[in-house]
Amino acid sequence: MHRADPGSFRDPASHVVFEGDRVLRLLDQRGLDGWNALSNTKFFERATGDGRLIESKLVDSPDGGSAAALEHPKVPFISYPYEWTFSMLKDAALLQLDLLAEALADGITIKDATPFNIQFVDGRPVFIDIGSFEEYAAGEPWIGYRQFTRQFLFPLMLRAEAGVPFQPWLRGNPEGPTAGDVRRLLGFWQRLKPANLMHVSLQARMEERMSGAAVRNELKTAGFSADLILANVKKLRKLVDGFTWSGSGEGWIEYQSCTHVGRDRESKGAFLRQALDTHRPGRVLDMGANDGHFSKLAAESGAVAIAVDGDEPVLDALYRQGSRVSIVLTDLTNPSPSQGWAGEERPGLIARAQPDLVVAYGLIHHLIYTASIPPPAVIEWLAGLGCPVVVEFVAAEDEMVAKLTANKMEAELHPGRTQSDFETLVAPHFETLATESLGNGTRALYSLQPR
Amino acid sequence: MFFGYLDAGSGSLILQAILGGAAGILVAFKAWKARLTGKRALAEAEAESEVDEPAVPSES
Repeated sequence: MHRADPGSFRDPASHVVFEGDRVLRLLDQRGLDGWNALSNTKFFERATGDGRLIESKLVDSPDGGSAAALEHPKVPFISYPYEWTFSMLKDAALLQLDLLAEALADGITIKDATPFNIQFVDGRPVFIDIGSFEEYAAGEPWIGYRQFTRQFLFPLMLRAEAGVPFQPWLRGNPEGPTAGDVRRLLGFWQRLKPANLMHVSLQARMEERMSGAAVRNELKTAGFSADLILANVKKLRKLVDGFTWSGSGEGWIEYQSCTHVGRDRESKGAFLRQALDTHRPGRVLDMGANDGHFSKLAAESGAVAIAVDGDEPVLDALYRQGSRVSIVLTDLTNPSPSQGWAGEERPGLIARAQPDLVVAYGLIHHLIYTASIPPPAVIEWLAGLGCPVVVEFVAAEDEMVAKLTANKMEAELHPGRTQSDFETLVAPHFETLATESLGNGTRALYSLQPR
Repeated sequence: MFFGYLDAGSGSLILQAILGGAAGILVAFKAWKARLTGKRALAEAEAESEVDEPAVPSES
């Protein structure tokens, strides 16, 4: 029996199903024609060989309704564009453009242009939707151009030119902002840049004026060719490559270098290694991962490490280091929900992560003191993850907590914040396998096993 | 080839010809003109059929 991937149904020519741990792509006749055209090209051989395209092999179809089936290796962890940092979306955009240009040179086109077709494996973007390729027919335009602008170009442009983070836009509407939205968001001078005039203002105007008009045959008759797509793609690549965003000065980058984040790292690392040895997890969810130090330790043990944090500059720096860990930018007090069609197309973060071990270093005092989550709710949430947890407790006397509560009155804080309260709250849910007091005694580590 | 599952957007399709450079601008202009001519021809055909209509005998 196979199970349909809830995020793979829009293209009638190709969709993904899971059979146990196997990932199968079922193709109809049109999908098979596309595969036959693609798999015979030098482009396919080259892009699969260097890891930019996911590996694919033709296998027996598991049902009678498909013309053919492909098998792909399983992507260790699926993340979504609204969980990516600026550099991740930029690299994904460049990959999308490079693949289209190279494919066109071999007579193949890509029929869509969405970052949901790209995943990060070992810190590198990989194009996973082999069903997106099909033979290019002379005179046809690039069908994915508008989608490329909405889901890659405009989000990057918003961050690079207007300083607006794109993730809330993509999370709010995974189709991405329209040209009209971006026109309203850009400043006057930004709108006047030649590339923005074309991709943003002119596109917005033409979309308004020509909604629903059939122009495909007119373009073909007028002499449209792949050379025009290639010229556009080449200019888009230059535009995207020129986008920069420096997150320095924001968030934790300065903070971590001058305060306690680096403190106790050795003790925390040794404590985590012990837990990794005990549990030998396949997947480790590092919540509040900061610069990814402990995610990297988990990855070194052979686990798939997922570094979750709400701070884009530190995660972007982690990505740019070429780290193998999976990166998720999300606020843990409001993690990515299950959304899309039927509320199931893009599963929520926790359902996707399915961790075997959770690391929560330097996290829960932020939940309790900054986000005002009651301590019992924090512990119940950790217990709900259903796996062992390595957690750092931080007492009210800690210098960091003093900063977090500088403007809060005692009556504005939830009760149950002492170390003894913590141990009482934990006891019904977890057995404590190990504990260790840190540095000056205001912090302690616990290795917890669900009861 | 037939159009995919994706709505490519008519304005965006014409725009990408323009974005292809000088040769593309000519293509976009020709396509635009063909569209206008097509629309005019359609309008004329519709106007003619409206004029013809009363001449068609009713079957009732």
